[in-house]
Amino acid sequence: MSRDSNYDHHISIFSPQGRLYQMEYAFKAASSASGLTGIALRGKDTCVVVTQRKVPDRLVVPSSVSHVFNITSKIGCLATGMIADCHSAIQRARYEAADFEFKYGYSIPPAVLAKRMADIAQVNTQSASMRPLAVVMMIVGVDEEKGPQVLKVDPAGHFLPFKGTASGAKEQEATNFLEKRVESIPEYSFDETVRTAIVCLGSVLGSDFRGSEIEVAVVQGVQGKFQSLTEEEIEGHLNAIADEND
Amino acid sequence: MGDSAYSFSLTTFSRTGKLLQIEYALNAVANGRTALGIAAVDGVVIATDKKFASALVEGEDVSKVEAITDSSGFVYAGVGPDYRVLVRKARKSAQAYFREYRETKPVGQLVKSTASVMQEYTQSGGVRPFGVSLLVAGIDGDGVPRLFQVDPSGAYFGWKATAIGKNYVNAKNFLEKRFQDDMELEDAIHTALLTLREGFEGEMNGHNIEVGVVSKSDGKFRLLTPEQIQDYLDEAN
Repeated sequence: MSRDSNYDHHISIFSPQGRLYQMEYAFKAASSASGLTGIALRGKDTCVVVTQRKVPDRLVVPSSVSHVFNITSKIGCLATGMIADCHSAIQRARYEAADFEFKYGYSIPPAVLAKRMADIAQVNTQSASMRPLAVVMMIVGVDEEKGPQVLKVDPAGHFLPFKGTASGAKEQEATNFLEKRVESIPEYSFDETVRTAIVCLGSVLGSDFRGSEIEVAVVQGVQGKFQSLTEEEIEGHLNAIADEND
Repeated sequence: MGDSAYSFSLTTFSRTGKLLQIEYALNAVANGRTALGIAAVDGVVIATDKKFASALVEGEDVSKVEAITDSSGFVYAGVGPDYRVLVRKARKSAQAYFREYRETKPVGQLVKSTASVMQEYTQSGGVRPFGVSLLVAGIDGDGVPRLFQVDPSGAYFGWKATAIGKNYVNAKNFLEKRFQDDMELEDAIHTALLTLREGFEGEMNGHNIEVGVVSKSDGKFRLLTPEQIQDYLDEAN
């Protein structure tokens, strides 16, 4: 393989400049494959994830179209990217969380799970036999010691904790929106966290939506369970946001 | 490691006798954030910057400088996820050493085994080299402070002072001018901070740099707290 310049686009080897093209392409696939934007935010005692629910056909059962998953009853994940790769990553995350609890006798902290998923993602960037997964995972949960956490894991195997972050098609715009509020976000109450996430999504998409067009999921407090809001609950928040704007 | 379908090395010799994947890996390192180290007569200091792409990152507990044993630590320049693999392997090997010999693994041994792992990934089937250079700092039972650099090829070198990553040439020139053989740890820490400042964009403070120190007095590798770093910076001003 003396002429490496072509293979470096096909498998996980270095390009002459020291870049890993397969990894960069995986990022592109993760942000543009589904066309969705996802936002994750953490307040004083609450984590929330918000994304669009784009049902491709009227005959499709809407509840089967989802990018929001439970990993354990208390840890949730918003996985943006190619949905089949998302399902694969989530299955693995569920296994890792269950295995941790079995071995060590207590529930896996969100940051430990994120690190494990990141280390697993790294293997695919170094080993030629499997391509990186086109998934960006935003893992949310309330840690017993550290409080609510949002951790983003990307195809390269990087992971970082965030006060708030976004992924997908409008990632940059959503991040700019959140950065303006970076000082106040960690003190947000439940309602403020949920509503800010929803308003952020609305502002980057440039349109209003109904309760059926977005997915919102929350976990509040150390004892809380990660669960999706019902359509009625989402409508309630949307109405409250509209009232605040009047 | 690697799949049987890829039971051939991806790193092979070019017509001119070069191992291009290793050279490209070194380019990946040269694009990484600067890290540097100085070995004084009574201790070793390693330092790097701590910058995140966004103010939204909760960076307090995120760290590039990592302790491997009680008396040694790593820092890197290059591809972060690859670094985590090496840290994990080094910690495991140090623990296995302790289990067998009931002694802390010496820095030189740690460097050799980590370098050996990195070399394997340049020759084994289906994998690429690690895109990191490591700086290893530590003090053994003999009390001698040691600083080593390990490259993606698996080659390692002992240094009195060195820098890796972006801007490393300028940083090394700066260090060469300022390094003295009888330098003490306190001076070394100040020099390290001054060297970092050379390539630093913006104002340095205790929260946007990381410093790891191992001193002969107690032989323990520790990270300086943001307050301690700020004190050193204030003294330098």
